[in-house]
Amino acid sequence: MAETLLQLYDVTRSFGPFVAVSGVDLGVEAGSIHAVIGPNGAGKTTLFRVITGVLRPTRGRVVFAGEDISGKRTHAIARRGLSQSAQITSLFPRLSVLENVQAAIVSRSRRSSDVASWFHWSTRAEAIEMLERVGLASSAGLEAKVLSHGDQRALEVAVALATRPRLLLMDEPTAGMSPFETEAMVALIAKLRHEENLTVLFSEHDMDVVFGISDRVTVLAQGRVLADGTANEVRANDEVMAVYLGAPE
Amino acid sequence: MAGEAVLPRRPTRLVRSNGSGVGRLATARLIATPIVVIGLLALLGRTLSINNVLTLEEVLGLAVFAMATNLLLGYGGLVSFGQAAFYGSGAYMIGLSWLHHWMSFWPAFVLTPVVGAVAALLMGLIALRTRRLYFALLTLAFSELFYQLVNVRYSFTKGATGIFAVSMIPASLAQPRTGYYFTLGVASAAILLLWKITVSPFGLVLRATRENRERAEAIGVNVFRHQLLAFVISGAFCSLAGALFAVYGQSTYPDLLNWTTSGQPLFMAVIGGMFVFLGPALGALLYQVGFQYITQHTHDWQLVLGGALLLVVLFRPDGLSGLVLSNPFASLRRRIRGADSGVTEAEATSILEQVPATVTPRSVDQREQMEVPPDG
Repeated sequence: MAETLLQLYDVTRSFGPFVAVSGVDLGVEAGSIHAVIGPNGAGKTTLFRVITGVLRPTRGRVVFAGEDISGKRTHAIARRGLSQSAQITSLFPRLSVLENVQAAIVSRSRRSSDVASWFHWSTRAEAIEMLERVGLASSAGLEAKVLSHGDQRALEVAVALATRPRLLLMDEPTAGMSPFETEAMVALIAKLRHEENLTVLFSEHDMDVVFGISDRVTVLAQGRVLADGTANEVRANDEVMAVYLGAPE
Repeated sequence: MAGEAVLPRRPTRLVRSNGSGVGRLATARLIATPIVVIGLLALLGRTLSINNVLTLEEVLGLAVFAMATNLLLGYGGLVSFGQAAFYGSGAYMIGLSWLHHWMSFWPAFVLTPVVGAVAALLMGLIALRTRRLYFALLTLAFSELFYQLVNVRYSFTKGATGIFAVSMIPASLAQPRTGYYFTLGVASAAILLLWKITVSPFGLVLRATRENRERAEAIGVNVFRHQLLAFVISGAFCSLAGALFAVYGQSTYPDLLNWTTSGQPLFMAVIGGMFVFLGPALGALLYQVGFQYITQHTHDWQLVLGGALLLVVLFRPDGLSGLVLSNPFASLRRRIRGADSGVTEAEATSILEQVPATVTPRSVDQREQMEVPPDG
């Protein structure tokens, strides 16, 4: 067994009387692709927002690379090497594609408070290289907001990669994508895992995507872990199939 | 390559990525622009009439005020209505030092940015914990607090009377042309420093926080700290601009701290264009020259001012500099799009480098520019 990069212990998050995530234990192995699936309202996004520090857990602990990060602020968690791309496209729309990546490199290099140097100019080559990896190098000079939806998602991945993450967290990376764009994103995730030895934790609706690339799958339903195992184990689980048949996506 | 599966694209809109290294042509332009502009202003100091030299001197001080404010407005996406507090503190630093014999003019002048920075640090620590409207209201409240304090403490500040004395500045600076050259020197240095800050790594990250606060945090940026740094820098330069006012006006009075004074640099930035580095300076020139010209003909200066602001916001939200620069952009895009398959990346880059260096990456899409970016 490889080392566990991210471990959740009894993570619970409630909003008033409503318990969105309830007692979730989950371990992500270093170097693996781990999927979190579940019907709408299962608590996937809430769980991710707790991990990234956007929300504080009501109860439980989040341990990343051996350090308790529960309740720490987003930017502090990001600096520890946990990078994310959100469910809704989130970029710097009026910065150029290149600058989107450069901003991430500057931040990672702890030079973001530097008012006097030309440091970010020296990041150009690395930023272009990041863009090449996701196939966007030829769009470097465009404003991020004019890119197509699929390209914007790809740029998000480039921005996330530019922070040199140990774990990439993706909340529904293919949401709103055409089948063609989805295929490109899946290929990109598989490639990154292969080339960068990146650990990926993602949530997803599309079952083809999930079973196509995941090493491990965790099924959430009504805020609880319903099943957890390899892709094949989960696919063979009757209870999981019942949830999906009972609440088709 | 998975990337090849991504949809084919063609350049729809091109922007100069000025945070990413510039070519030789653009570098030459970067060096030539300040030399030409400062040289021209120096020449004007010799040839213009005394009255016009004084107008220009005031414009220079206001340009620093407007550009320092625009570091928050245009680059940081922060609307502060408290800039008068820093402007006034700079002027009062000169006035009070003279009144109470704290120190002579020169050390007082050198200290003004420090005073502004400290005031901004205190105000920012509290105001920046809130967002948008609440931030604007808190900055407004702070500056009104300063205003009332200065008004009420007559024995210390001479209250509403203000401090008027030619001798608060050295006799040499009281001569119009010498005063003008002094102001030109200080303002040029200040504007060059501000420019350097906007094109620094910090400048890039500051624009990123303007665009998307949550995303900035997700890449590890402490947004509060960066906004505070911008606020402190802005306060320091606003205070320096206030000291330049004291040199120009040889006076200081509570109205310099009033909220109407806070509105001035915002107005100048919007009129001149807040997404172009020199836009606010253009706004300062138009504001001051327009004020002098219009008040000769009508008493309804405020009406003209309001009307102008209305027209700009409705039809040209990126200001007059946006209007001036939009045509080259349009023809540039046509050139590149027209030769869609023919233009290589290198050629496109070299064409892009001919765009003036003062242009920050932006679109020509007007309405979207004025939207205050979502603060999360």
